Amino acid sequence: MSELRADNLTVGYGGAPLVSEIDLRIRPGAIVALVGPNGSGKSTLLRTLAGSLAPVRGAVLLDGADLRTVPRSTRARTTAVMTTARTSTDYATCFDVVSVGRYQFTGVFGRILESDARAVDEALAAVDALEFRDADFSRLSDGQKQRVLLARALVQEPEIMLLDEPTSFLDAGAKLEFVALLKKLARERRIGIVAALHELELVKAVADEVVCVSKDGLVDKIGSVAEVFQREYLKKLFHVKSDAFDQIYGFFSESPRRAEERRSFPDVCSRNATSRVKFLMVQGTTSNAGKSLITAGLCRVLTQDGFRVAPFKSQNMALNSFVTEDGLEMGRAQVMQAEACRIKPSVYMNPILLKPTDDCGSQVIVNGRVVGNMRAREYFEYKKSLVPEILAAVEKVSESADVVIVEGAGAPAEINLKENDIVNMGMARLVDAPVLLVGDIDRGGVFAQLLGTLELLEPEERARVKGLIVNKFRGDKSLLDSGIVALEERSGVPVAGVVPYMTLTLDDEDSLSERFDRKKRGRVNIGVVRLPRLSNFTDFNVFEQFEGVEARYLRRPEEVDDLDLLILPGTKNTIGDMRWLEETGMASAIREYAKSGAPLIGVCGGYQLLGESIADPEGVEGGGSIRGLGLLPVASTLRAQKQRRQFRGSFVAPTGPLATLAGAELSGYEIHMGETAPTVEELAAFTSEGTGYCRDSVYGAYVHGLFDSAAVVRRLVDVLARRRGIALETSAAVDYAALKEREYERLAAAIREHLDMTLIYDVLGVARHG
Amino acid sequence: MNRTLVLSAILTAIVVALALANLVSGSARLTLAETARILTTHDVSSVEGAIIWKIRVPRMIAAALLGGALALSGYLLQAFFRNPIAGPYVLGISSGSKLVVAALLVAASRYGITLHSSTLAGAAFLGAAATTLFVILAARKVRSMSILIVCGVMIGYICSAATELVVSFADDYNIVNLHNWSTGSFSSISWNDVGSLTPLVAAGSVFVFFLSKGIRAYLYGEDYAFSVGVNLKVFRVLLVVGSSLLSATVTAFAGPISFVGVAAPHITRSVYKSSEPRTVMAGSFLVGAAFCLLSDWLARRLFAPRELSVSTITAILGAPIVVSMLLRRKGGSRV
Repeated sequence: MSELRADNLTVGYGGAPLVSEIDLRIRPGAIVALVGPNGSGKSTLLRTLAGSLAPVRGAVLLDGADLRTVPRSTRARTTAVMTTARTSTDYATCFDVVSVGRYQFTGVFGRILESDARAVDEALAAVDALEFRDADFSRLSDGQKQRVLLARALVQEPEIMLLDEPTSFLDAGAKLEFVALLKKLARERRIGIVAALHELELVKAVADEVVCVSKDGLVDKIGSVAEVFQREYLKKLFHVKSDAFDQIYGFFSESPRRAEERRSFPDVCSRNATSRVKFLMVQGTTSNAGKSLITAGLCRVLTQDGFRVAPFKSQNMALNSFVTEDGLEMGRAQVMQAEACRIKPSVYMNPILLKPTDDCGSQVIVNGRVVGNMRAREYFEYKKSLVPEILAAVEKVSESADVVIVEGAGAPAEINLKENDIVNMGMARLVDAPVLLVGDIDRGGVFAQLLGTLELLEPEERARVKGLIVNKFRGDKSLLDSGIVALEERSGVPVAGVVPYMTLTLDDEDSLSERFDRKKRGRVNIGVVRLPRLSNFTDFNVFEQFEGVEARYLRRPEEVDDLDLLILPGTKNTIGDMRWLEETGMASAIREYAKSGAPLIGVCGGYQLLGESIADPEGVEGGGSIRGLGLLPVASTLRAQKQRRQFRGSFVAPTGPLATLAGAELSGYEIHMGETAPTVEELAAFTSEGTGYCRDSVYGAYVHGLFDSAAVVRRLVDVLARRRGIALETSAAVDYAALKEREYERLAAAIREHLDMTLIYDVLGVARHG
Repeated sequence: MNRTLVLSAILTAIVVALALANLVSGSARLTLAETARILTTHDVSSVEGAIIWKIRVPRMIAAALLGGALALSGYLLQAFFRNPIAGPYVLGISSGSKLVVAALLVAASRYGITLHSSTLAGAAFLGAAATTLFVILAARKVRSMSILIVCGVMIGYICSAATELVVSFADDYNIVNLHNWSTGSFSSISWNDVGSLTPLVAAGSVFVFFLSKGIRAYLYGEDYAFSVGVNLKVFRVLLVVGSSLLSATVTAFAGPISFVGVAAPHITRSVYKSSEPRTVMAGSFLVGAAFCLLSDWLARRLFAPRELSVSTITAILGAPIVVSMLLRRKGGSRV
């Protein structure tokens, strides 16, 4: 195997040194990462290592011989270069592009023989790009292009590869994929790799050795990732003296996005704010233990007691996102908790949002912006790099709060996921928060849940748990007392209280499954089609305030019966769910229902489903187009660009049974990928600004929160009742907002009654006001 | 591969058809049958026979060969600058040749020296090579391709102005000829000329085919070409020599002919849907030949009996193509 060596090398242009005195050895199978700010000379160093630039001083040695004297063919058979230049040619297939790399193996005219073609195919297969073999190179995505260019380097059968910022143009997922590929190639083929990399997280993931080139042209450090990063970088990053942090960030280059975000919270880690603020964390023994509501309840109690409180959850996994006024996405639970705190929700309360796209992949949203789609495994690697974002978000939330109540995610004792945990105990450690652990008695085995969880925690994690909570209790509490005593004895952790089972009308992911299972019939029945990729759940909670009105989710066609109103909710995948509707027979049931003249309302994705066709020219959902339900003469086109905005308008001219809504004010929000337009002239407008249309008893709109105002929901329920020939008491109808406010007060009262607030104030370390 | 062969066959057929059209049409009206008879019987004795054999055949051959040469020259320049809008005329190289040739002609007529056509070709080569080097120097300074083109156009203007200056020192009877030549024309090509230009074009074309392997790598950038083992210094010199030789041959015999060098490779790439250098070179030669034959035919036919300069036609046909490429540049039209 060949070895490339830099011997006291100084590189630069025209004899002017740019980077001085580098000693470097590129061993077979090892990856050397070059890091440093733009313009520090990484590319110059790479060009010199490749031989295209003469050294200013010193030498590059290939197997001991000065590279400048090594014959061209020897050099080209040993060393392959992958350049950043985005040049490509028109009309070149990937095969053509890669075959250029066979230069040394072909004759005078460069004819590709069978053996060369095999080598090309093999190289394409090695980078998992064989499927693009005959595709036009210029039409590939950036990630695919980089892989093909890597194949072009591989086809030279090199022993050393030099890569100049191979990941620069890639999105987060593709970056990870690419470096994983590099690592594999280095190991399997014993190729020595030098790569200039921008992203420190990638360097950490892939490099065996790191060369830091500083702005003043000195090679600051050469060493293993552990030597260069761990001690210097990570320690400072997490325990954070501001000067150290700035130095690190100033020293290493950043992506523009990162830089922009950093500007918005410059003293990320000075912890001026966080040191003042008190943290309390609520973790659960299982998901659905009721953490969100306990957190919301605590938020409201402390708010009532005069503290400025803010909620926080580092990472949410939910389809059901909320759009803030700035058009950013965050989890619903923190919105609900912010409402409990009587403050405006901000994405910093939930910096990371994962929206599952299928069983093992998610859309990753960081600080409200979509970063990309990742597989679970990719994300597991990627999330390490999100610690600075989380700290920055905590800082931001802390600015205007005295107390931050942090919610955990899932359970802290998932020992398979503990490494690099950023949601439970890892999060508690980051902000040094005491922890309340919530068990769910409704599922049974609450003592085992609590004790078992404590048992699986590390001693220092266990020491953080300052109180236990038994949640969702039904029945006579005295029956529980002996167990509580034993629990306290065994665990050595006090039980802070037993909270009864409560049914609340609040936006809360944890209450979702209960809503799904609800089968109760009322006097007025509202059905919501439970699409497999349902994306908004809370639009219909507002109906819960009415005695006699029941809203239930429908999965099977036979369930579509005896309904007064049928709602098609939003979906993450309109085309997929349209297929589901047809396959399950739900579509026919809906069409049948529509014939009856009873109102049918589609919201967002549901609106698209009602139309005649849904086209996906940009491949947002995999391309193609599909016939819709054909109940409304509109056609939808999906667009890659996501539209999100707050909406303020009105119902315009609803036809049929809902005519009574005409003129009612409407404020809600829009979040959708796509647009919908009528296919006939003079279709009645359902909502203003072209956001929705209707015909007869079928209504569609992009606006979420259609029924949130008291006036609207009351008129709607009145109509439904009248159609049924019954009278319902609706005069007490309230806005959804008022309804929720009432629920928060109920929740707070329950928390006060059932939790030992003195203990909690103790744990929190603040004195109760008044 | 099949597609390439079929397209090449079609292009060859078009070239042949246009060549015949060129033989048939002209100020003396001949029918296709007459032309065919004259060609097959090798009749040079009749007036018509003389017209066909002494005037139209060499003119047709020159138009075809020089058109091909221009296209190849343009392709090489595009590869060198990695810029699809490069071409000998656009970059002022044709004008550079013209200047040197004009200077030589004027000097020769003043001192009563008769020049062999190969001397003219040599002068044109010197002019082309010198201008190319100048453009390369400019290219080192400016990174923007559009500005490089502007530089080329300016160099062209300067050379044309200098040519005008030189011509004003010429004897009266030379001026008409010189003027005719300096705007580009195949009209005065003799068998002698054909005898000189054919080996030059043939040698140049074969020569540049040997560069195809290097070009393929060079299209992906100099550093890349270097890394796969292209001898860059030698390769660059060969590219410039090849391109200058071909464009100089054209200028020496037909004067500067505009836009063929840009348009032909572009048309070829879009027709063949390929960027493989060998394919594009062969195709460009055919397209260039067809382009010049068509232009020459139009130049004679449009306002017959008045004959237009070929460059007028090639500009009308070719310039819109260049403009459209400039406009589409963002979309990534590439070499």
